Amino acid sequence: QEAKIAFGGLAQDTSLPVEVQADSLSVNNADGTAIFAGNVLVGQGEMKLSAASVKVEYATDGKAIARLHASGGVTIANLADAAEAQEAVYTIDSGTIVLTGDVLLTQGPSALSGQKLTINLKDGTGVMEGRVSTVFVPGGN
Amino acid sequence: CGFTPAYAPGGAATRLMGSVRVADPSDKNGFDFVERIEERLGRTEERLYDLAYTIRTDSVGVGLTTDQRITRYNLTGVIDYTLTDAQTGARITGGQVQSFTSYAATGSTVAGLAAEESAAYRLMRLLADQIVARLIAEAAKLP
Amino acid sequence: QETASLISDRLSITGDTRLIAEGNVEVFFQGRSLRASRIIYDQAADRLLIEGPIVLTETGGDTLILASQADLAADLSEGLLTSARMVLNQQLQLAANEIQRIDGRYTALNSVVASSCKVCASHPVPLWEIRAARVVHDQEERQLYFDHAQFRLAGVPVFYIPRLRMPDPSLDRATGFLQPKLRTTSLLGTGLKLPYFIALGENRDLTVTPYITTKGGRSVELRYRQAFRTGQIDVTGATSRDDILPGESRGYLFATGQFALPENYRLDLKLQAVSDPAYLLDYGISDTDRLDSRITIDRTRRNEYISGRVISFQSLRDDEDNNTLPSVVADLTFHRRFSLGPLGGEGGLRLQTHNHWRSSSDPLDGPDDDLIADGRDLSRISARLDWRRSFLLPGGVEAVLLGEASGDIYSVGQDATYSGNYSRSHTAAGVELRWPLVKATGTGAMHVIEPIAQLVWADSDNNGIPNEDSTLLEFDEGNLFSLNRFPGSDAVEQGRRANIGMIWTRYDPRGWSMALTMGRIYRERDYGQFGPASGLAGETSDWLAGVNFTLPQGYSLAARATFDGDFELSKAEGRLSLNRDKLALAASMLWVEADPLFENRPTPTREFSFDASWKASQQLTTRLVGSYDFEGGRGTLAGLGLEYRTDCIAVDLSLSRRFTSSTNVTPTTDFGLSFELIGINGKGAAGPSRRCS
Repeated sequence: QEAKIAFGGLAQDTSLPVEVQADSLSVNNADGTAIFAGNVLVGQGEMKLSAASVKVEYATDGKAIARLHASGGVTIANLADAAEAQEAVYTIDSGTIVLTGDVLLTQGPSALSGQKLTINLKDGTGVMEGRVSTVFVPGGN
Repeated sequence: CGFTPAYAPGGAATRLMGSVRVADPSDKNGFDFVERIEERLGRTEERLYDLAYTIRTDSVGVGLTTDQRITRYNLTGVIDYTLTDAQTGARITGGQVQSFTSYAATGSTVAGLAAEESAAYRLMRLLADQIVARLIAEAAKLP
Repeated sequence: QETASLISDRLSITGDTRLIAEGNVEVFFQGRSLRASRIIYDQAADRLLIEGPIVLTETGGDTLILASQADLAADLSEGLLTSARMVLNQQLQLAANEIQRIDGRYTALNSVVASSCKVCASHPVPLWEIRAARVVHDQEERQLYFDHAQFRLAGVPVFYIPRLRMPDPSLDRATGFLQPKLRTTSLLGTGLKLPYFIALGENRDLTVTPYITTKGGRSVELRYRQAFRTGQIDVTGATSRDDILPGESRGYLFATGQFALPENYRLDLKLQAVSDPAYLLDYGISDTDRLDSRITIDRTRRNEYISGRVISFQSLRDDEDNNTLPSVVADLTFHRRFSLGPLGGEGGLRLQTHNHWRSSSDPLDGPDDDLIADGRDLSRISARLDWRRSFLLPGGVEAVLLGEASGDIYSVGQDATYSGNYSRSHTAAGVELRWPLVKATGTGAMHVIEPIAQLVWADSDNNGIPNEDSTLLEFDEGNLFSLNRFPGSDAVEQGRRANIGMIWTRYDPRGWSMALTMGRIYRERDYGQFGPASGLAGETSDWLAGVNFTLPQGYSLAARATFDGDFELSKAEGRLSLNRDKLALAASMLWVEADPLFENRPTPTREFSFDASWKASQQLTTRLVGSYDFEGGRGTLAGLGLEYRTDCIAVDLSLSRRFTSSTNVTPTTDFGLSFELIGINGKGAAGPSRRCS
């Protein structure tokens, strides 16, 4: 591994294509949404997202995905970093993922837990809120 | 005028006789105190109540003469006592008694020594009698 | 490795390697904890940049550092805090513009102000402070090292010390200076006592107190204490030179020791020695007028008391010559109590040997104060058997049969009139009738009226034994109903007599309680056994009246008097004590008739003394002591005390005047001032701090 910049792992090219696999798919044309259910796995480049169910909201033009709404226990992994939460909302064009509900972000030996984590994939920054608890190793990594 | 004999047959105070076990002494004062309590309430035959106590004494010089002789000492004594039920350990009554005895220090050293020890002996008996009088007064409370 | 944990309300993960924690941020690492408003954790540099208000607490919570900014290592072990305050043991505060943490053990502060006083915005200058260019706190050794320290009192620089070492207040046994005392007496002039405490390991210590006074007083007091597995010793002594006895080296030695012996015997040691009679008074050590050194081995069990002891007396009184006083006494006592099985009741057996010696061997009585041969030595063996049995008679009368039989063998030497052997056997028997009557009142108070009558038969022969240990008689509620009122063994109460009395007790557990005792002794014949002042003399003794009051608000009074038929007092004394939250008072009154023959008291004693302390305010307690001898017509002792104790300073001021005088004791005024910087050099408890107005 080249010199890793801590938390840089969150940076992500949000223009890559998004693939979604799931046990089942149900589409609701009225509001332009589709619901994947059962071992849903969403991939974009290096980043993987798995959840119990993912609701996909398409852009007004009906083709591009505007937002992914994952719930029922979400795990997001990106190289060395991984985040878990009860729910996550990924808005593709703004490149932000908002995880809520017992959020846990692990990065090497350090781990952060809190109630709400907002990750900006464009610049790899993140903000954790709600009595955040961080465990790190002084002098480590 | 409302007074009844405490030791009348079936009287409350008769239950005190031979049924109070006073705690073991740890020094001469305690020894004399236990002796007097057992003299008044009899040695324990059937242990119904326990009497616990703490004794504090202090010797204070009085009678200071103009040529710096301490001619007399007051021996002050305070005893805190608690009567508890021997089976359940529940507190029945308790309190504090206080008084003093005196001894002169004008005679020879041997006379002073005997007077000092006699003052302590009398103080313990006097305070024990005060406690027994209170136990008799509150005998109606005995379970 | 050890992990550190960081808790905060918000945590931002910036693009580079930094974490920004904001809102109630707390960091915990190896027992150290740090609270701040904002922390930037730079992972690459492994540093914490902290913004205040910062509170850094060391392991154990004894050291606390408050700061506004800090740049520390991630494990909080080293780094720099700016405009910080360090608080030791919640008492001593050191404020500095910069505090440096060095490898988790040392804390260095620059341009420091140290004080334990509460600083208020309205008057920021603390009562006392120590300013120093640099202070280093060694957390392991718990020591504070000051460089260029300047002591200021109320902002005014008082003295300067280039280098000062001081134990950190959380250290219990540290070598160092204790609370200095200023003492001014009319004899020794003004002097300063500066105690220096040396801790010699866990169980031993030595305190050295030099005492230099303006009137040529130079003395050093040493106090050595040692704890053993089974006991401890405490030895205090001093050597002094002064102008009171110029050219003489004076001093004293007091030592005590207690040890637990096998079979739960106990050993007590006590030594008191002094170079000259007035020393203890001149140096305000003790006002005793008889020194008593003794070795005692004793054991106390429920039914058995065993004691063996050797006592050496040394009188400091003018009119007593230690050669003609019994200076060495040796006693052995064995006392067993038992119940008499079929006979019932309670019995006791006491065996005792007693010896005392006088160093003089002159068989005649010299010019000393007593009428006893100067050289008389005496030894005695005694046995005493006592027994009592009580019966409850119909009508509630408690009848008690009691008896006592004693046998004594005496051997007296070096006494022209009394040398020789004596033996005496004495029996006494009695019947005691008690008729306690009880009554409960509506208010919860209980009354007990107990008339008591005791009829005693005793033979009447003292076989010419010289009476030395039974000359000081007392008559009180403790021996109104006793078979033998003599304190010692040399004399026994003779003849037939009736002890009549009545005790009235009012007892209210919540309210006030009282006990009143009245009694008198009627003898068949007056054997002239007692002195006039004892109240026991004559065919009919004096009346004995004793009263005892306890009031719930902390008052208690005990008093008694003996007076004859037409109320002519022979003895009266009383003690009053009062314990309220603001006021505490102990007063005693004494009125005793003259009794030159028996009690060696040529003039009556009439005295009143009191000791009162009053809490004027949260911080200030005043104390007043006094005693007045009506016979001599003037005061014998007067004293005033002031104690001002706040959270950071304790000032004790005492002024006492002793008016007594004799050939080697002169009236003196004693003024003492001691102050203690709480949190610095003394374990005095901190008082309440003043409120900021």
